[in-house]
Amino acid sequence: MIEIKGVVKTYDKRMVLNIPHLVFDDSKRYALIGVNGSGKSTLLRILAGVLKPDTGEVTHIPPNDMGYMPQAPYAFSFSVKKNVSIALGKGYEDKGQVQHALQAVGINHLQNARGNQLSGGETQRMALARMIVKRRNLLLLDEPTASADIRGISQIEKVLLDYADENNCTLILSTHSPAQALRLVDEVLFLDQGEVIAQGLAEDVLHTPKHPVIQEFLDHWKI
Amino acid sequence: MDGIIKALSLLFGENPELRQIIGVTLRMSVISTTISSGLGIPLGVLIGSKEFKGKHWVQRFTNTLMGLPPVVGGLAVFLLLSRSGPLGTLKLLYSVTAMVIAQVVLITPIMTGLTATIISIPAPRIRETAQGVGISAWRQMWLMIYECRSQLISTILVGFGRAIAEVGAVQIVGGNVQYKTRVMTTAIMMQTNMGQFHFAIALGIVLLTISFGINALVHFLESRGRT
Ligand SMILES: Nc1ncnc2c1ncn2[C@@H]1O[C@H](COP(=O)(O)OP(=O)(O)OP(=O)(O)O)[C@@H](O)[C@H]1O
Ligand SMILES: [Mg+2]
Repeated sequence: MIEIKGVVKTYDKRMVLNIPHLVFDDSKRYALIGVNGSGKSTLLRILAGVLKPDTGEVTHIPPNDMGYMPQAPYAFSFSVKKNVSIALGKGYEDKGQVQHALQAVGINHLQNARGNQLSGGETQRMALARMIVKRRNLLLLDEPTASADIRGISQIEKVLLDYADENNCTLILSTHSPAQALRLVDEVLFLDQGEVIAQGLAEDVLHTPKHPVIQEFLDHWKI
Repeated sequence: MDGIIKALSLLFGENPELRQIIGVTLRMSVISTTISSGLGIPLGVLIGSKEFKGKHWVQRFTNTLMGLPPVVGGLAVFLLLSRSGPLGTLKLLYSVTAMVIAQVVLITPIMTGLTATIISIPAPRIRETAQGVGISAWRQMWLMIYECRSQLISTILVGFGRAIAEVGAVQIVGGNVQYKTRVMTTAIMMQTNMGQFHFAIALGIVLLTISFGINALVHFLESRGRT
């Protein structure tokens, strides 16, 4: 379980995240939805521990073996293979996991290419391979399919679902696609100006929105 | 014209003093660049990669030292090493060691400042990505250095370029002693004052060639670093 208590983050006196209390259950899948600047990345960063909130705390009980993929993952100038194997960590030997991960995200043919020469979508897949290269019980993914083509999107979604099932992994991802949330997750958290304005089963939040902001947001979701 | 021809014959002939001067210059420049890199690069990596209280002030301080006029740096080292100075008992004044110390004082801040700027650009993204898969802070630093390697090598070359071209400070603390602390720049200055233009021109050609070579290398590395 992950528990957030009294977390506030401000930049230059502007409050960008304000979460009095929030709990994520183990082995469940969550989507963060909200317009640009609503605080999705900030929340993921704080959950991952790469950003310190001004006040409040995040507790992982028990401590998680966590993987966090930023919105713009860094691609190192060494080979794609090495880019993924650095995520194995100390004491882990590559016994084919890297190959397997690259295969799963569909960039096995690029394993010897230089990481920093990949396309945007390929870079995102490589970053995803870093996430799934070993067993983890928490994945925090910032818009994991943002630069994927439509075929890539369903490929990646399948990879994520399989991985989460196999490893009993808690999944928290941000997305701009309500449809993706419905396909992937149990619960949706809707963020607006740094606050969670709705939380609940994906169908409930997205099919019968109660909050006017969410209704307005979903008005734009026609196709 | 006559001077240039004489200079060329000097260069391609056997002139022990010319060789000796070039030797001292290179020795001084290589040693001081090595020490400055050893101090400045790790410090720059720390400043550039970490967020800490007072970082702003550390950067200001470094920038101020980066712009330290060489003669002022030279004067400070002179006072430090002079007979009545705090390190006077070491009797280092007018030695190559003194010149190296002065050079280190001048070049280390430059290495630190440039390194910090170079590292600070990819640092946040590298940190976030690496931390996200549990890579230790120590290893993150190495990854940053690796990713900036060509620019950092350029920085070392810039430092070497500064060392080899410096006049004021080495004149003050080295004293331009023949066969001991005379380097290319101080020799050029003296020979020019004495009207011995061919000797000055010969050294000028060597200096220019080295500078040109370093610049070419820096450009090559930087163009490669961009791809
Ligand atoms: N380092 C920073 N300095 C100042 N403001 C920041 C910084 N990082 C984020 N912000 C601000 O915090 C707010 C929330 O940003 P965040 O990245 O969490 O949004 P987001 O919901 O992920 O948006 P997007 O959908 O565009 O990715 C934004 O208004 C942004 O301008
Ligand atoms: Mg974001």
